[in-house]
Amino acid sequence: MKERENILRILEETKEAIKIDNAARIKELSNQTTNTASLTQDPDNIAVAVIIYSISKIMERKDYRNLKGWESFYRILTTSLDRTIEDVRKEDEKAFRSDFEMIRKAINKLSGKLKRYIEEVFRSAEINKASRLYEHGISMEQTAQLLGITMYELADYAGKTGISDVPVSQTMDAKARIKLAMEMFE
Amino acid sequence: MQGVIIFDSSTLISLSMNGLLEELGKLKKIFDGKFIITNDVKKEVVDNPINVKRFELEALRVMRLMRDGVIEMPDSLGIKSHEIEERKRKMMEIANNMFLGNKKSIHLIHDGEASCLALSRILLEKKIPHIIAIDERTTRMLGEKPENLKELLTKKLSTNVQLQRKDFKYFRGFRFIRSTELMYIAWKKGLLGLQDGKTVLDAVLWALKFKGCAISGDEIQEIKAIK
Repeated sequence: MKERENILRILEETKEAIKIDNAARIKELSNQTTNTASLTQDPDNIAVAVIIYSISKIMERKDYRNLKGWESFYRILTTSLDRTIEDVRKEDEKAFRSDFEMIRKAINKLSGKLKRYIEEVFRSAEINKASRLYEHGISMEQTAQLLGITMYELADYAGKTGISDVPVSQTMDAKARIKLAMEMFE
Repeated sequence: MQGVIIFDSSTLISLSMNGLLEELGKLKKIFDGKFIITNDVKKEVVDNPINVKRFELEALRVMRLMRDGVIEMPDSLGIKSHEIEERKRKMMEIANNMFLGNKKSIHLIHDGEASCLALSRILLEKKIPHIIAIDERTTRMLGEKPENLKELLTKKLSTNVQLQRKDFKYFRGFRFIRSTELMYIAWKKGLLGLQDGKTVLDAVLWALKFKGCAISGDEIQEIKAIK
């Protein structure tokens, strides 16, 4: 695990934000994980980035709380978060991965609408974080591999963002590139 | 001499998701040469998505292009996969150690992209005219303006990214186009099958952008302004 102190801080602050029901703060914490995930490309950091973002989206949706299974899901979420914080403090990476995975596995205990919604939140979080890594300058294929998504999903999502409109992305005059292409067909 | 267009997965994905693979087939008919993909690119556009229900159809469409001979593998040029593999490893090693953030290497590119660069180098040595079609921006920036990539990484990662300038030479001389340039040619040559002049061009370029082709709105305007 890379950047252990940072992961610990993010998890502790996420726990506090959940307690006071502050979804915006969790989202902010999730954004802070993206830089570290891009730089280290460490699977633990990437997992934290995806899960914290997912938690922020889940906490944002207050209507989920009225659905069957919410209390059980919330309990597993907070308990697993407590455990992962302890694991990181003890530098027990194996336990950390297992306990962190429990948050995702909590979905298996759900049924009906809540299960479907939360599954979708986790999947969308992977694509969102992939898009953010691509935005940060990591290649499309490398990013898709890191997040375990297909390049089709990433291209579809990234295309709807302003990533390619950043001026530094333009590396050649548009006319010159057309000329290059035309020459191949002459 | 016959030319070669090397396709990265990102370009085939943009074309496929816009239903423009048929137009790629039409372009092949007027191209004096071959459209080539590497094994690693095939994995990304066929072998992996064939197992994902949502993208199974896209994978089948690319497979059909291969069956019809529109897209071929490097062995059709007499290039063995182990030759590409060796070059690819070298390319990845250099590219993925070229930028340092917090004194650690930033892993930028993966097998498919590196294999396109590797094949390009082999073709260059064989003096075969060629170009790489790639829609994702990182590899293109690495080959054309690594300084811009450094600027982007520094800004986005909020850290001072350092660039090993001695490695620039390995990435000089690559030539890149995107799906947008290919479809511009298809439009110019009347291969798009729609007869609404520049409106069609506008529609196709924006559709490709929305499916992941790294082109800016300004570049689209510039392309449309070409006589």
